[in-house]
Amino acid sequence: MSPVFRAACERLTMLYFELLIQGLIYGSMYAIIAVGLTLVYGLLRILHVAHAGLFALGGYMGLLITNSTGSLILGMPLAAAIVGVVGMAIYRLCYQPILDQPPYVALIASIGLFIAMEEMFRLIFGPFGLTYTNAPLQSVVQFAGIYLRAVDLAIVVGSLSLLGALSWLSQKTRIGLAWRATVDDPQIAESFGISVLNVRYLNFFIGSALAAVAGVFISLLSNLVEPTMGGVPSYKALAIIVLGGLGNVAGTLIASLVLGVVEAFGTIYIGDILDRDAIAFAFLIIVLMIRPEGLFARR
Amino acid sequence: MSVLLNVQDVTMHFGGVHALTDVSFEVQDGEFLCLIGPNGAGKTTMLKAIVGAISPQEARILLDGREISGLPTHRRIGLGLALTHQIVRPFRSMTLTDNVALAVGHRRIRRVWTALAGLDRDKERAEALKLLEMVGIHNHADQEVTGQPLGVLKRLEVARALALKPRLLLLDEPLAGLNHVEATRLADTIVRINQEGLTIVMIEHNLGEVLRVGHRLVVLDNGRKIAEGLPRDVMQMPNVRAAYVGKEANDAAA
Amino acid sequence: MGIYELSLATVVGINIILAVGLNLITGFCGQISLGHAAFYGIGAYTAALMAKAGMPGPVNLAAAMAMAGAVGVVVGMTSLRVREDFLAITTMGVGFLFLGIVRQQESLLGGELGISSIPTFGVGKMGFFVLVLVLAALSVAFSLYIKRSWMGFAFEAVADDEDTARVISVDVPAYKLAAFALGTALAGLAGGLYCYFARFIVPDDFGFITSISVLSMVAVGGIGSVYGVIVGTALLTLIPEFFRFISDYKLLVYGALLFGVMRFAPDGLAGLTRLAFRRIQRKGGAV
Ligand SMILES: Nc1ncnc2c1ncn2[C@@H]1O[C@H](COP(=O)(O)OP(=O)(O)OP(=O)(O)O)[C@@H](O)[C@H]1O
Ligand SMILES: [Mg+2]
Repeated sequence: MSPVFRAACERLTMLYFELLIQGLIYGSMYAIIAVGLTLVYGLLRILHVAHAGLFALGGYMGLLITNSTGSLILGMPLAAAIVGVVGMAIYRLCYQPILDQPPYVALIASIGLFIAMEEMFRLIFGPFGLTYTNAPLQSVVQFAGIYLRAVDLAIVVGSLSLLGALSWLSQKTRIGLAWRATVDDPQIAESFGISVLNVRYLNFFIGSALAAVAGVFISLLSNLVEPTMGGVPSYKALAIIVLGGLGNVAGTLIASLVLGVVEAFGTIYIGDILDRDAIAFAFLIIVLMIRPEGLFARR
Repeated sequence: MSVLLNVQDVTMHFGGVHALTDVSFEVQDGEFLCLIGPNGAGKTTMLKAIVGAISPQEARILLDGREISGLPTHRRIGLGLALTHQIVRPFRSMTLTDNVALAVGHRRIRRVWTALAGLDRDKERAEALKLLEMVGIHNHADQEVTGQPLGVLKRLEVARALALKPRLLLLDEPLAGLNHVEATRLADTIVRINQEGLTIVMIEHNLGEVLRVGHRLVVLDNGRKIAEGLPRDVMQMPNVRAAYVGKEANDAAA
Repeated sequence: MGIYELSLATVVGINIILAVGLNLITGFCGQISLGHAAFYGIGAYTAALMAKAGMPGPVNLAAAMAMAGAVGVVVGMTSLRVREDFLAITTMGVGFLFLGIVRQQESLLGGELGISSIPTFGVGKMGFFVLVLVLAALSVAFSLYIKRSWMGFAFEAVADDEDTARVISVDVPAYKLAAFALGTALAGLAGGLYCYFARFIVPDDFGFITSISVLSMVAVGGIGSVYGVIVGTALLTLIPEFFRFISDYKLLVYGALLFGVMRFAPDGLAGLTRLAFRRIQRKGGAV
């Protein structure tokens, strides 16, 4: 092999590796957004578009608290807690009263709620977005030959450990057992003395808190929160829960990572034909043509 | 008599649940066949497989010698099958009459674009009313489906199936949810329709009625056919009795 | 009528065609579409390109309908394969896909900058308004006819309960495809008219927000009710114009309205009217 050729090969391998890492960073962020959606879908069969608003709210809360206290360690958990409670309120005030209507009712209500939330952010915090006065986690580290920011690593590690914790919670604890029983059959769960209402609250709390964490992550990545930040990642998260087989947490995680990687490579190779956002949906549509039940059907 | 429906080797698994395993039976033209068996035996699954509402892993189903297993549901119905649901499935946005009238007009909606041609629904509504009367719920004809008692909805299922003018009527527990008088009356109506030439397969737990109206029985248990024959003979078979008694003992224990 | 009123009325007419088309898919046949604007856009781009190539207006409108309807059938075929719940998301995806493609096609479709200086239809502003009015009236009449026909009867069954529709011999996929073909063709017609009206189109005219706006018109009017949809469309198109002061809050009002209607009156204005009517009747009966 000529040295020139070998150098070219190495550069290509390096590029692939970088793209892969980049895909995983976005993919793991998509995963913690999508998990909330899939939890809500699994429990209530609602496509919870307003989740996007909670994601943006998380970004705003995280940034505002971090800016005023100077500590992300404080900002992120507080944002998660606040948004978790808002999520519970949304369930109680918005979804619970219309659960027995046909499914499009909740879907359209949710879209309306999301648009209203976006507009509130714009009216309250201004249209141009906010930035960190002193953005945390921006130091550069070298990892396996490529340069990453601390925030990149934090996203991957943070997302995966949160999802791990969630999976532990659902498999190994009494709460998780109650939750799974309710997903399977709410009536039977109720007859075993499980409070279906509490399970739903918990579901919305956890899902929304995770969305908030994702919102904070993305704000760190771009050092920006803006009113419309929720839209695109959340639409993609909707595509992901379909790909992952609705209501399936493990499937959602894998689909998120796959989509992140497909996007990263797609932007390089077919970016001239499709923009990044369209690539995700093209992928969704192609997969559904081949596997109408999603990548990982439940049954 | 000739064979109208020939069911061969139907096998249906839901995940790990073996709802049907290698079940075969025949239905003669003009016959009144009853399909019985304990809860969860696979009876409903069998009827759904016949109309194609579910797709079994294996099945050969012949209607009048013609293989129908590959056809979509609406084509099978078009060839002369009709099904009533055990768990009622009315169109909730329509009145009882319209539920039936749409089925009466099934020829008019067979092709999408020709369905655009007609507006008039009077003839079909009149026919629907007759069918509602036949099953004894014509007083409810113009009411909404929502809020109707189960007994009415059960009979609506039967009227809607009859409206399709089928050659083979598949009834899934049509008498459940009716009181004794209503049940006897509906059973008599069904017998009369059968005598007029319509072939019937009926699932029923009410063994009294089964013995009264059925010409022949097929018994399922745990997804397998365990017996078939004349009603009195079948009910004497030890394995049939065991299946029923065993299940009841289990149910009592649970 | 002044120029301003005339153009407002024209926009209402175009939106009515657009909304009536979505109502056919979502209202009559029960298939949620979150990507209606894509077909609107396909119509607009088709007509715009042909107009710039010097083709005559009526031909271009017909082509806009045909193109949107044809893509609608293809999308319909995809959506037939997926579960009901997925449909909303697949159609949303189609919307983003359309935008993504249009944005990247600079040479042919003008990319982000869109297509400008589209020729006029050649009948004057008043003449064009009359054309829109006539086409809107035809669309409304057509959709009222469908609703009363046996096709509409079968649509009702599909919207109500697909599985039951199948057991009374309804060819569910064929009906869904028909609804998609008709509804998206109407969207294409609306798009064709829009390109002649605005004479300048950009991708964002046909984005997710537009899809949602059309859905709002249908939902606020009352899903499935043709008259309700007409009123809903007129209201949602005009309110922001008459109340200029809310123009900054336009989307907030949209969102809140959409949410409020679904939360408190899921059958929209049509449902509220029916309810009021029944109350009055009952009172009349009691006297
Ligand atoms: N869609 C489904 N998914 C999973 N399991 C199913 C499904 N439908 C039926 N089963 C299972 O298949 C078995 C047979 O069910 P089926 O409804 O055919 O019984 P059946 O004989 O009609 O009972 P019953 O007398 O209670 O109506 C049962 O164990 C049931 O739980
Ligand atoms: Mg059964």
